Amino acid sequence: LMVMPGLQMESVLGTLPSASGTLMLTVLLTPAAAAAFVALTRRKRLAEAATLLSAFLVVLQVAGLVAGVIAGTRLSAFGDFLSLDALGALVMIPIAGVGFVAALYSINYMGRQYERGVIDRRHIIRYYAGFNVFVLTMMVVPLANNTGLMWVAIEATTLVSVLLIMLYTTEGAIEAAWKYLIVATVGLSLALFGIVLFSYAYSNASPSTADSAMNWTGMAADARMLDPAIVKVAYVFVIVGLGTKAGIAPMHTWLPDAHGEAPSPVSALLSGVLLNCAIYGVLRFNIIASGTLGPSFPSEMLIGLGLLSMGIAAASVYFAKDMKRMLAYSSVEHMGIISLAVGFGGFVGLFAALFHIVNHAIAKPLMFFASGTVSQRYETKTMSEIRGIIKVMPVTGALFLVGGFAIVGMPPFNIFVSEFLALSSGFAGGQFIAASMMILLLVLVFAGFIRKLIPMIFGNPRSNSAQPSYPEGKDDMGRLAILPMAILAVLVVVLGFYMPQPLQTLIHDAVQVVQGAP
Amino acid sequence: LTTILSELIALSAAGLLVATFGVVVRRSFIGWVSAYRYQSIVLAASTAVVGYSTGFWDIYAAAVLTFVVKAEVIPRLLVRVTSGVEGGLKMEANPYVSIRLSVLISALLVALSYGLVGQVLASASLDALAQAYLPVSVSLFFIGLFAMVSRRTALNQVVGLLIIENGLFLFTTALTHGVSLIIEVGILADALVGVAISAILLTRMSQTFDTMDMGSLEKLKDD
Repeated sequence: LMVMPGLQMESVLGTLPSASGTLMLTVLLTPAAAAAFVALTRRKRLAEAATLLSAFLVVLQVAGLVAGVIAGTRLSAFGDFLSLDALGALVMIPIAGVGFVAALYSINYMGRQYERGVIDRRHIIRYYAGFNVFVLTMMVVPLANNTGLMWVAIEATTLVSVLLIMLYTTEGAIEAAWKYLIVATVGLSLALFGIVLFSYAYSNASPSTADSAMNWTGMAADARMLDPAIVKVAYVFVIVGLGTKAGIAPMHTWLPDAHGEAPSPVSALLSGVLLNCAIYGVLRFNIIASGTLGPSFPSEMLIGLGLLSMGIAAASVYFAKDMKRMLAYSSVEHMGIISLAVGFGGFVGLFAALFHIVNHAIAKPLMFFASGTVSQRYETKTMSEIRGIIKVMPVTGALFLVGGFAIVGMPPFNIFVSEFLALSSGFAGGQFIAASMMILLLVLVFAGFIRKLIPMIFGNPRSNSAQPSYPEGKDDMGRLAILPMAILAVLVVVLGFYMPQPLQTLIHDAVQVVQGAP
Repeated sequence: LTTILSELIALSAAGLLVATFGVVVRRSFIGWVSAYRYQSIVLAASTAVVGYSTGFWDIYAAAVLTFVVKAEVIPRLLVRVTSGVEGGLKMEANPYVSIRLSVLISALLVALSYGLVGQVLASASLDALAQAYLPVSVSLFFIGLFAMVSRRTALNQVVGLLIIENGLFLFTTALTHGVSLIIEVGILADALVGVAISAILLTRMSQTFDTMDMGSLEKLKDD
C-alpha cells in the first residue's frame, strides 16, 4: 500500500539560522496584522480581501517552515521558547490549509448570510477580525515549546472561538457558547494542574533555571528521570483536561452544541483544526508519560477513552436530527479513532494516528462547507427536511457525497487508509478485543451515517417537503462556494491512492518524535 | 525571622480558606463578588509572601498584577456589566443545594484536599510554602467547582470559575515558585478576557432569555 522511505535523516538539534526564527514570528504577525486591519477599515470587501491575503501568506510561510523541518532540523527560536519539529509541523499544515479554504469559503457563505439579513456589517467585521485572531492563537500551539505558553494559547483559542460561535445572537448560539466557555475552561484548568505537575517533576529531577523548567524538549529528554508517582497523576489531569477540549468522550458534551451552532466556516475550523491542537497537546504529554511510566498505562487510558468516544458517537449519529450536529458527533468518533491508534502504538499505529489527523482535517471541513451551503439553499439544518440535493444543487451534492463516503471510511478515500492502518496495528499489537470493537463501532457509525446521507442526496426533492420555501430549479450557490470544497475533495481522493513523498517523510519523522527518538 | 515567615505563610493560607467560605455562605451576586475580591487580596498577599521567601523579583510583579487585575479590575467589570441586569436575576433564591449543606460539603472538600495532597505528593519532598499552600489551592479548585454545580444562576458560575482560577494560580506559584512571569501574565490575561467575554454573554443571555437560570438553557439536544 505504502512504502516507507528508508530514511537516514539525522535530526540536527541546536541553534539554527535566524531565518527560521524570523519566519516563526512573521507567520504569527501576519494574521495579527490582518485582524488589526479588519478592525480599522470596517469595510466588508476590504475585510474579506485582507483575510484571504493573510491566509494565503500564512500558507506560504508555513510551507517554508515545513520545508525546513523536512530537511531534517528542529527549528528553534527565542532561546527555545518557540520551536517546531515534525510533529508540530504536521499540526501546522492543516491550520494553514484549512484556514485558507475557510477564508475562501467565508466570502460566499458569510456574504449570503449578510445579504439575507441574518447578520449586519458590524457582525461581518467582528467575524473576520475574530477569524484571523483564531488562526493566530491556533498557530501558537504547535510553535510553543514552553508548555505554559502552549496552555495559554489553547485557552486563548477557547475565548476567541466563543466569540465566533456567538456571532449569531440566537438562543441556540448563546446556549452553545456558554456551555463551551464553562466546560472548556474548567477542563483546561485541570490540564494546567497537570502541566504544572509535569514541570514540577522535571525541575525536581534536573534543577534548572525557572524559564526552561516548562520547556517540553527538556521534559521529554529527561522523561526517564521524572518521579513516576507525580507523572501518573499529572498525565491523568492532562488527559482529562486536554481531552475535554479535544472532544474525547465523556468530556465531549459541549462539542455538538458548539460545532452545530457556529457559522459553518467556523465549524470547519473547530472540527478540522482546533480539535487537532488539543490532541497534539495530549500527544506531547503522552510522549513524556510513556518515557517515565512505560507505554502500558498511557496506552490503556487512550484505548479506553477512544473506544468510549467511538461508542457514544455511534449512538449519537444514529439519533441525530440536525445535519451539523451529526457531523460534530462524527468528529467525536474520529478523535476516538486517533486516540485508539496512538494507544495501539508501534510504528504503524502512530503513523495511522498522525495520518488520520491530516485526513480528518481535510474531510470534515469539506462536509461542513457542503452542509453550510445546503442549509443556506434549503433554509434548514434538519436532515428529514432536506431531500434530493443532487437534483437541486448537482455539484455540491456530488462533493457532499464524496465527503460523506470519505468520512465514514469507505475505500478508496483517504480516511479508509488511516483507519485500515490503525486496525492492522491493533491486531498486530495483540489488542484483539479493542480492535474488534473498533471494527464493530466503525460499522455502526457507517450504517447510521449513510442511512441519513443517502436520502438527503438522492431522495425525491418534493416527496417530503412541507416547507413553503422549498428550493426551485438547479443552483449551486456560486463558484466561490464550490471552489474550496473542490480543493478539499481532490485531496480526499488523491490521498486515498497516493501519498506525496514530503508528507510521508514528515509523518515518518513525527512518528520518531512520538516514539521518543532524539 | 523564619518564625515570622512561617506564621505569615500559615496566616495567609488560613485567610484564603476563610475568604472562600465567604463565597459559599452568600446568596447575592454582589456578596459573591466582594468575597471573591477579599480572596484575591489575600491571594496577592500570599504571592508576595512566596516572593519574599524565594527572593525572585518577578513573583512580586505577579503579586501586584494579581491585586490590580483580580481585586480591582475584574470585580468592577462584573458589577458594572451586571448593573443593567434586573436585581431579581442576581439573587440565588433557590440553589440546588442549601446554604447550610453547602458549608458542610465545602468543609468536607477542604479535608479531602488535605488528604489528597498528602497522598498524591507523598513521595515529593515539598518545601514549607508548598506544604502550606497546595492543599488550600486544591480546596479552592473543589469549592469553585462545587459552587458552579450547586447554584442556578449563570452569574454564579462565573464566580465559581474565578475561584477555580485563583486556586490554579496559587497551585502554580506554590509549586514552581513563579515559573515565568510571561506565563503568569498570560494566565491573568486569559482570566481577564474570559470575564469580559462571559460578561458579554451574560448581557446577551439576559436580553434573549429574560432569565439566568441555567435550568432554562436546555434547548440544544438530539431527541
